Amino acid sequence: MKNSNYLKGLLASTALVVASESAVAAEWGSFDGVTVEAKLIGGQQYEGLYGRIADWEAATGAKVDIISKKSHFEIDKEIKSDMAAGTTSWCVGSNHSSFAPQYEGLYVDLNDYVSAETIAEFVGGNIGASTVGGELLMLPRAQFDVSVLYYLKSNYEDADKAAAFKSEYGYDLAVPETWEQMKDQAIFFADPPNFYGTQYAGKDEAIVGRFYEMVVAEGGNYLDDEKRPIFNSDAGQRALQWFVDLYEAKAVPAGTTSYVWDDLGQGFASGTVALNLDWPGWAGFFNDPESSKAAGNVGVAVQPMGSVTRTGWSGHHGFSVTNDCDNKEAAASLVMFLTSEESQLAESAGGSLPTRTAVWDANVAAAKSGDDAFRAEALAAFAEGAKYAFAVPPIPEWGETTNIVFPELQAAIVGDKTVKEALDDAAEAVDELMQESGYY
Amino acid sequence: MPRRRFPEWLVLLLPAFIVIAAVVLIPLIFSLYSSFTPYKLTRPSTLWRWVGTYNYEKILTDAKFWAAFGRTVLFLTIALNLELILGLGIALMVNKVTWGQRTLRTILMFPMMFSPILVGFQFKFIFNDNIGLVNNVLQSLGSNTALPWLVDGKLAMFSILFAEIWMSTSVFAILILAGLFAMPRDPLEAAKVDGCTAWQTFRHITLPFLMPFIFIAMTIRSLDVARAYDIVQIMTGGGPARRTELLWTLMSRTGYVDARMGLANAMGYVSIILSILFTIYFFRKLSAARAELGMAG
Repeated sequence: MKNSNYLKGLLASTALVVASESAVAAEWGSFDGVTVEAKLIGGQQYEGLYGRIADWEAATGAKVDIISKKSHFEIDKEIKSDMAAGTTSWCVGSNHSSFAPQYEGLYVDLNDYVSAETIAEFVGGNIGASTVGGELLMLPRAQFDVSVLYYLKSNYEDADKAAAFKSEYGYDLAVPETWEQMKDQAIFFADPPNFYGTQYAGKDEAIVGRFYEMVVAEGGNYLDDEKRPIFNSDAGQRALQWFVDLYEAKAVPAGTTSYVWDDLGQGFASGTVALNLDWPGWAGFFNDPESSKAAGNVGVAVQPMGSVTRTGWSGHHGFSVTNDCDNKEAAASLVMFLTSEESQLAESAGGSLPTRTAVWDANVAAAKSGDDAFRAEALAAFAEGAKYAFAVPPIPEWGETTNIVFPELQAAIVGDKTVKEALDDAAEAVDELMQESGYY
Repeated sequence: MPRRRFPEWLVLLLPAFIVIAAVVLIPLIFSLYSSFTPYKLTRPSTLWRWVGTYNYEKILTDAKFWAAFGRTVLFLTIALNLELILGLGIALMVNKVTWGQRTLRTILMFPMMFSPILVGFQFKFIFNDNIGLVNNVLQSLGSNTALPWLVDGKLAMFSILFAEIWMSTSVFAILILAGLFAMPRDPLEAAKVDGCTAWQTFRHITLPFLMPFIFIAMTIRSLDVARAYDIVQIMTGGGPARRTELLWTLMSRTGYVDARMGLANAMGYVSIILSILFTIYFFRKLSAARAELGMAG
């Protein structure tokens, strides 16, 4: 009797395991003997997720062969070379909302492979920014980027500073709500070459993205509906003037025109910069005493607003499936797995922002009930900041326009041209590019 | 009937022809062809659309291209002249050293052993305005400014030139030193007997003898510098505001980032003119210098 009970229990538990395994297999499909070749973005913050690939392999019987793992800019060049050479039979590629429109015809429309219910579980704005010309080119992973304001708290806890600021500017010193206030405070806090009010990315797409969001915040836009450049409007000029004023006042480091993300992150972590608009990936780094002199003194607030709205240039990483892939179902299954709720929960535990509604809710709830006040403050700021997020214009020429525009923005910042001259010159060159590309 | 055979010389040379055609000739013809198309890497079909001389017309009227062209010529001229003067000085001094010369020659070659990309990173750090070595030294000596080494137009060009010259002066030094070693002693001793001053000996005997070596070094380095890319790309990326934009930083951005390979290839063909002109000029000078020494050709 005892034995037979034991046997029953054993049978039941075996049945449970078999049932759950087949449930997993049913969820991700069965692809015995299939090998999926993938080109993935490399780097510490991205690779944690790839550890989960073994689970997908076990569930489906397929194998994943990562044939390339590089930084995003390197992967981008490699994919372009692949397109030129016609070697695009690999299956899954890392993608980014700012890059996706460039790869015309390379990736499948995932609407054909992923159910509408699954797609609806993602944040609508992220799906919108992953869709080009009506085709869903990638599924977003938990690497959503929008910038918020990091600041040194000590600057707002000093009564002498507060009094001096009020007598000079006529209003109370508090964490800036608008870009105008941020400019005042940056100039007020700056004490070059030892301490700077703020800093900004000064070259490549980085500065054009920042400029673009400022133009939108001032009520303008980068391109109109016909894709004609309109960033040289009054709104555009006000936006660029902000960069110029800070540079002239020496409130930013002189080398800021050559800075990109790493330089900015290291700069704020050195404790010598008062206000810093930056990405979510830095939150942990800034508040870690091992890596940052500002640790313990870092506040996080929603990004300031221009005269019309808040800035919110955003982007996100994702995964795509190529048209030349032999087994697109297997590839799509892998992409769904890497962007699933479980995967996003695991990936966003490292501090990155999710792109699924349920994962956002779970993270915010967990942070509120947890004992890490900084994490809760940062996540609340990013949740608020994400409401104002918008992506770059979804055209293949976006990257190329930024290469035209950034030297002109620099020319205005370092004083080679006036703001109007620089923007008019940039708009003229972008106009020529748009005409060549056949938009009008 | 005897089998027809290729002549022996052709059979022997055929492998070389095939290799050269595969690695040089075909890519060259292909890139020349693509410079007459609107070829975009991301749209392979554009390779088959002929647009005639559109890319060339665009380049010839493009002020940014010619600014980069002019800047490259200026960069080349300054770098070559300074490297020559410094290299000559170093070679003459090393030539006088009697003890440990071999070690010194090896040490001299150290900068050439570094990858240009690493040299770029090293000098980018040294000249960083905020955390860089130079500004920190200046500030600890009492200066209260942060010189924008990589931002100010003149300072940025200076910084890049400094890195380039630091890395490559030894090319001149080594080649000139080889010339000094090969130099016959008799004319020098005759000059000494005739009562020539050290300057006269150098000006009328040593220097003319060294000229062929100098022009060979010049030719090699002019081709090298005309394609300067790695150091500039790392240190300034051609910026800010195109202040340090050279031909190759412009071309690589056009070809690989903007994916406009047709246009980039056209730029390449126009800028080859620069290298050809410099090479012709230095070879003429080389022949003249050799003729002066009584050597043939």
